[in-house]
Amino acid sequence: MIPIIIDGVVQGLQFSLLAVGITLIYGLGGVLNLAHGQFAVIGGVTAALLIGGGMNVILACVLGVLASGLFGLIVDRSLLLPAYRYKGEERLLLGLILTLGLSFVVDGYLNYRVPDAALTVQLPYPSVTVAGITIRTASVATSVLAILAFLMLGAFLKGTLLGKAVRSIIQNEVGAELCGISATRTRTLIVCLSAILAGVGGVAQGVFSSLGSELGVELTIFALIVAVVGGVRSISGTLVAGILLGIVNAVASFYIGTYLTLIILLAAAMLTILVRPSGMLAYWT
Amino acid sequence: MRQPRIPTGYVTLGVVGAVLALVPLATGDSAHYARITTLMLVYMTYAVAFNMILGHTRQLFLCLGALAGSAAYVSVVLTRELELSPWTTILLGTLVAGALGGMFSYVSVRRGLGVIFLGIVTLAFSLIFQNLIYGLRALTNGETGLVTKGMGLSVLEDQRSSYYVIFGVLMLSLFVYQLMMRSRIGVAFRALSDDEYTAELAGIDVTSYKVLAASVGSLLIGFVGALYGYRNGFISPAIYSLAGIDIVVLITLLVGGMRTLLGPVLGGVAFAVVDELVRPFGQLTVLVYGMLLIILFLTFREGLVSVLRKVTKLDIP
Amino acid sequence: MLREISLEVQSGEAVGVIGPNGSGKTTLFKAIAGMLRPKSGKILFDGLRLDGLHTPDVARRGVVYVPAERELFPQMTVLENLELGAYANPRDRDDQFRFVFSLFPRLAERKRQLAESMSGGEQQMLAIARGVMAKPKVLLLDEPSTGLAPLLVAEMYRQLSQLKAQGLTILLAEQQVPHALAFCERTYVLENGWIKLSGRSSDLLGDPAIKRSYLGVG
Repeated sequence: MIPIIIDGVVQGLQFSLLAVGITLIYGLGGVLNLAHGQFAVIGGVTAALLIGGGMNVILACVLGVLASGLFGLIVDRSLLLPAYRYKGEERLLLGLILTLGLSFVVDGYLNYRVPDAALTVQLPYPSVTVAGITIRTASVATSVLAILAFLMLGAFLKGTLLGKAVRSIIQNEVGAELCGISATRTRTLIVCLSAILAGVGGVAQGVFSSLGSELGVELTIFALIVAVVGGVRSISGTLVAGILLGIVNAVASFYIGTYLTLIILLAAAMLTILVRPSGMLAYWT
Repeated sequence: MRQPRIPTGYVTLGVVGAVLALVPLATGDSAHYARITTLMLVYMTYAVAFNMILGHTRQLFLCLGALAGSAAYVSVVLTRELELSPWTTILLGTLVAGALGGMFSYVSVRRGLGVIFLGIVTLAFSLIFQNLIYGLRALTNGETGLVTKGMGLSVLEDQRSSYYVIFGVLMLSLFVYQLMMRSRIGVAFRALSDDEYTAELAGIDVTSYKVLAASVGSLLIGFVGALYGYRNGFISPAIYSLAGIDIVVLITLLVGGMRTLLGPVLGGVAFAVVDELVRPFGQLTVLVYGMLLIILFLTFREGLVSVLRKVTKLDIP
Repeated sequence: MLREISLEVQSGEAVGVIGPNGSGKTTLFKAIAGMLRPKSGKILFDGLRLDGLHTPDVARRGVVYVPAERELFPQMTVLENLELGAYANPRDRDDQFRFVFSLFPRLAERKRQLAESMSGGEQQMLAIARGVMAKPKVLLLDEPSTGLAPLLVAEMYRQLSQLKAQGLTILLAEQQVPHALAFCERTYVLENGWIKLSGRSSDLLGDPAIKRSYLGVG
């Protein structure tokens, strides 16, 4: 049971990373990014390809994460520009369709160029023993990576002026603009940041298991489930929600199979939306 | 305002019907072209339905494939397991699809869900559908799918007769659409798509019309989805997926023009052409679909009918 | 809705804009602040055109708008709200903190309190204080006395007088006419989107039309 739970926790951390990103982009950018999972996959695939080409593992992972960030930056400054010209529901709808199309483009391309077959990031040591339990090094590395990313994000949002500016836009965009904070310029930063977080998740996924063709969609779905069902009002809350989802997913999949588990989780998400439509992102502290 | 003696809509329908009816003569015995043209008709019908659901009542259903697939799978599985007549099960499957669509619409209107949340809910349903098929392997044979050849629907197994069956369904759906649009329902739809609040205030029962559009649309999607399942010789989850149906119908309707009669038809033709061109790319078709969706949604949201109207200065329906 | 108006504010002046609800006071302020785009006409500040700029850019130029709705950051502390007020001008932030806390001691007591948990009067103070944090060249105050008890209104105007003494240019929209006329050197009277009257506040105080409509006298 313990190995399953550990796997669940590690997987859950990735869900949290993506959930935070998708919620930030929704809260600050007013766009539902259905291509968020693809942001992650791009990072993981880049890292895997670089490692396959002989690059040092750590450098490759860093570059992978940066690749995701760069991709996010490009998407924000090009594809999403038309969406930003609108407000509210129009923007949300346009962003949804555009990112939906983008997800197809990325998946289609990756399937074509780097078709199926597991892309994995190889690690030197296989496993580590902690308190009598043998854990895969990959799991430890992934968890550490994810938690570090979260800590840095938290410090940024709470401690720096720019981070506070980001929070202020989420809490009251009009008020923020009156203080001279430009939502437009901050938005690009946030999309980039969210993409970087997704990149960490993607690289982590590559280290932890594999980067299959369906991964992008899967990650987006789980990120949405965390964001919607978790309906949390803080970063730490999202972290916890993601870990919980990971554990539930892992344990349930073991007993009733992955398909049924996913169905139940999706149904839970649907119900949450129906019962509590404001679920996603009231405001964050 | 002078009403023309024979309303242009019906004249257009006549022309469309005549042209499409003659297509099999042009394609001859080619199985390949028979398949493409029949598939084109299927997508046109999906687009007519989606036109009602999204075009006129602004309900973002991202579960068209799942609706069509639900009908198809319900029909095929019931026929196989309970040995019922395929026509009965097709009816049942259609009703299931209609009920699902109507339910999504009703619940979302009652709960005041925005377009986006309805989109997410229906997207979730699409995924639930896919996973149900994979999970209920004993009944559905998972990803491999089920063979539908030889299940007693001979009219759908011959390439020519199946073309005309689906042609009949398409013409019927266009006819129903035209009737609806020229009636009180059409007035309500026009008011709805402009501004729901104002429509509600003007006394239009927004809920009823939205649910009506969703139900009729979903029934249509289910019916054609099931029919095509038999025509195709086999059904699989991949056929009824987002990439297989939803994105195609979105593109079709965007290209053709939402809220028009000819939109689905023109869009269907355009897409069939594009699809043939894209075929040699193999794996990259999904990429192309994605790019098309993006480009169209950004630059060509008005659709071909709108463009034609401007160019010919005719009031094309 | 604003029709044709022409307004002028000199550096260091306190100018009032009074008029009934719907007369266009808030529309005017929003237009200056970049939240609304005027269909025609110009908004000039120190020779620079403000019309057409986005709100953040207007704020960064030193024209700070404190709306009637306050628009505070509910889940942030007083300190954080003020800190963000100085976002456009972080260099003099410490000086501004000292100034603002001396002006509004009650805010100093509540540094770590969340904005949403404060009373109406305290929120109003915080909104004005946040505007001051930006070390503005011009402060636009939209009905700052709304929802405040009379004692608090008096106190607030005392504080505003201190600001005025510092040389800050103030444009003030008010429902509470007597306070506005007492505080501002000049006043414009807006009605239905037009300027009905304007002039030195002391002169307007004696105007019989003003007395009747706004001061309830005569």
